[in-house]
Amino acid sequence: MARREHNLKIGVSGIRGVVGDFLTPGLAAAFAQAFATYVGAGRVVLGRDTRGSGPMIEHAVACGLMASGCEVVRVGVLPTPTIQIYVGATGARGGIAVTASHNPPEYNALKLFNVEGLFFNHYERAELLDIYHQSVFTQAENAQIQGQRDESGAAPRVHLDRVLRHVDAEAIRRANFRVALDAVNGAGAVLTPGFLREDLGCDLRAIAIDPTQPFPREAEPRPDTLGDLSRLVAESGAVIGFGQDPDGDRLAVADETGRVLDNDDVLALVTDAVLARTPGNVVVNLTTSSVIDDVATWHGCRVFRTPVGEANVVETMLAVDAVIGGEGSNGGIIFPGVHLCRDSYTGMAFLLARLVETGLKVSALAARLPRYYRRAGKAPFAHGRLGAVLPRLEEHFTAAAADRSDGLKLSFEDGWVHLRASNTEPLLRVAVESRTESRADALYREVMELLG
Amino acid sequence: MSPRPFLRVSPVGLRGVVGPGLTAAHVLDFAAAFATLLEKPGPVVLGRDPRASGVMIREGVVASLLACGRDAIDLGIVPTPVIQHAISRLDAAGGISIGASHNTAEWNALKFLGPGGSYLSSAEADELLDIYHLRKFAFAPWDRVGQLRLVSDGIDRYLDTLAEVYDFAALSRFRVVVDCCNGTSALLLRRINERFGTTFVLINEKLEGVRFAHDPATTRDTVGLQLAPLVRPLNADAGFLFDVDSDRVALADETGEAVSEELVLALLADYLLPRGPGKIVVTNLSTTALVDWVAEQHGGRVVRARVGRQAAIDALAGYRPEQIALAGEGTGAVMLPRFRFIYDGIAAMLAVLSMIHERGQTLSQILGSYPRYTILKGVVPLKTQRIPALLMRLRDRYAEREGGAADTSDGLRVAWEDRWFHVRVSQTEPIVRVICEQRGEAPEELFAALMDEVRRLA
Repeated sequence: MARREHNLKIGVSGIRGVVGDFLTPGLAAAFAQAFATYVGAGRVVLGRDTRGSGPMIEHAVACGLMASGCEVVRVGVLPTPTIQIYVGATGARGGIAVTASHNPPEYNALKLFNVEGLFFNHYERAELLDIYHQSVFTQAENAQIQGQRDESGAAPRVHLDRVLRHVDAEAIRRANFRVALDAVNGAGAVLTPGFLREDLGCDLRAIAIDPTQPFPREAEPRPDTLGDLSRLVAESGAVIGFGQDPDGDRLAVADETGRVLDNDDVLALVTDAVLARTPGNVVVNLTTSSVIDDVATWHGCRVFRTPVGEANVVETMLAVDAVIGGEGSNGGIIFPGVHLCRDSYTGMAFLLARLVETGLKVSALAARLPRYYRRAGKAPFAHGRLGAVLPRLEEHFTAAAADRSDGLKLSFEDGWVHLRASNTEPLLRVAVESRTESRADALYREVMELLG
Repeated sequence: MSPRPFLRVSPVGLRGVVGPGLTAAHVLDFAAAFATLLEKPGPVVLGRDPRASGVMIREGVVASLLACGRDAIDLGIVPTPVIQHAISRLDAAGGISIGASHNTAEWNALKFLGPGGSYLSSAEADELLDIYHLRKFAFAPWDRVGQLRLVSDGIDRYLDTLAEVYDFAALSRFRVVVDCCNGTSALLLRRINERFGTTFVLINEKLEGVRFAHDPATTRDTVGLQLAPLVRPLNADAGFLFDVDSDRVALADETGEAVSEELVLALLADYLLPRGPGKIVVTNLSTTALVDWVAEQHGGRVVRARVGRQAAIDALAGYRPEQIALAGEGTGAVMLPRFRFIYDGIAAMLAVLSMIHERGQTLSQILGSYPRYTILKGVVPLKTQRIPALLMRLRDRYAEREGGAADTSDGLRVAWEDRWFHVRVSQTEPIVRVICEQRGEAPEELFAALMDEVRRLA
């Protein structure tokens, strides 16, 4: 079958697409009606990130929610974790964030949260999707339509206060760190400056904190997209730099020299900080670096691996009662003490606390981590080809231990290879890691050649 | 008990019982179709009445307008005439009024308005329906999505215009009781009192989303419920009742007598025809013959169109605006030339008050100067498809055998020298309407015979 441009995707991760002819208000409203039909009449929290199509989709979602009898609690432009926490904290039936997260500005999407403010799990997602496809929605009559209320003022404090309970905020304030921030003009722009300045007493140097402006850089915070943050750190003499994605769940970190750390290392630093205080289980996805295993070993703790996707990590974290988790490569830190969601604010607070506790610089903390070399790439993905490709790789790397729980992960003594079909794009994602740079390069080349 | 699942998609717009009939999907698609239809650049103005479902519908309308690259200007809860005024004032591309006017609370509807706040022509309305059915909407690319703006001075700017036309200083000597029926007229009249020192005493003035104090129909019967009994105790000069979105009006005179809804148009024809220059009264086949009598007194004439707003609009389009004195129906819906030919209950009320002021007579004196006509109206549920046969039978009997003049342009109307009847199927509900009028006494016998015949075959 020919490969198509997937400008709209309706599936277990919800609904995501390019706004215009693909993601239409009618689709968004219908999906919201399916959601409302599933969660039942009651409060549903609705917020969004800053992309220009956000208000349009938000109106459509509010329409659908009300049409099926839910009361819409509007919280406006806020980070996704803030919305999730507010859902769980206020007894809502569920929540919807209008955000395409790290995707480019032409995209938008709905992130769906259950009564606890967690991403819908497998079963919930499947059932919701069935309701959507059956198109048999609860249709509220006039007297059952509950209207909407604005609680945008209340939601931020619930989130930030929860984060602050887990760090010595007073000590951080006393340190009066100079901190750099790139909020990509996203939802973080409305929350992060106040959090760092007022709550944590930082001397803040910030760029891209205007929520009315477009994203000034590629939305995903990675070493190669955070050049402006690097320069800001270097020029301002900040001790650390934070880069957020448009909906404030992902976090990237620059050290005091302006070097942006690998996202896996950021998760490793936070994991180290958490396990030092409360040893326990760690859950990460299959593509997360082995550095996590090493850090867990320092503290005598165990690491569980899951398929890629926040919902998968969260499900396993619940199952094994994990104390920390996340998705390394994409900058997701999940600390259940605050909430079972990716939260850049927890990451920022824990890292600043770590600087206070250790008295070390970020570069020094990072230098203590075991060194791994990572390569990541994409290969065009053709339907029906996986069945031929994966065995070929398995047969080629006979010495490796194979894990088939999400694509194929082949683990060696000195590294691993992970291949999986992207959930959101028509691509095969390839990740390779090894202890030495030459081995990582060789392994990566070998895999890409086998993929043709 | 659940309301019945009613939905009507017609050139006049979208109307139905919210939930089982009218859904979010209808709203989104219709609003997108409207945005696709509009050619004039500029924003789209919207407003709503206080029904609970109005908020849901507003969100859907806004989403589709923005998605089609239109900016939306939301006036909030306002009378429909205020929306039409704002469209014209803001030079907007058009507007949408969310509200089911004289229907009960479980209903809602979208009314589509073109540039200048006018109703859509039949050609435009048909095209809107075609786009809706095709579902090929002109969605804008992601970086051209529109923005929503809230505007709160819609009512005040509309009052500015009213103040240019009506002499509020003179009208402030009247004490007037108004039954707002928990609708939008309350917002406007309260503001008129504040700004112009008038004495509109309001009842049922609290905006309600779910339960109105009574059926919001502008008829003599509803005027008789709460409004008319209050006129004398409050020593008022008149009583007026508005439907929920204030486009229709009904009244009671200073003696506390509920006036037939048929008389509003006749009264205003009597006021406006001598003022000129328009000499034509546009009305429909179901409206009282008193209008013809009034027109004759002033050397004017009556043009009768099929029932329904769309037919009135099409009839008006056949004349130069200055030829028209006014247009309206026997339902309390009246359009005045000065107000761009839109149904405007507030402007109609102010015209009636101005008439009382200028004539120096009481309302009952003016009404008492007209010959008496008695109209009977009946409704029969529509269950069969034998309507053509029914109409043929009636025509046979009353036109062929009893010598009446038959008009078949909308159901059947048969007229004699001093009486007439009209039998037609409603455009908005599954019912047959029977209307029968006679100069002097009520045409009881004719009416009973008609109702019998219709019940048998409808």
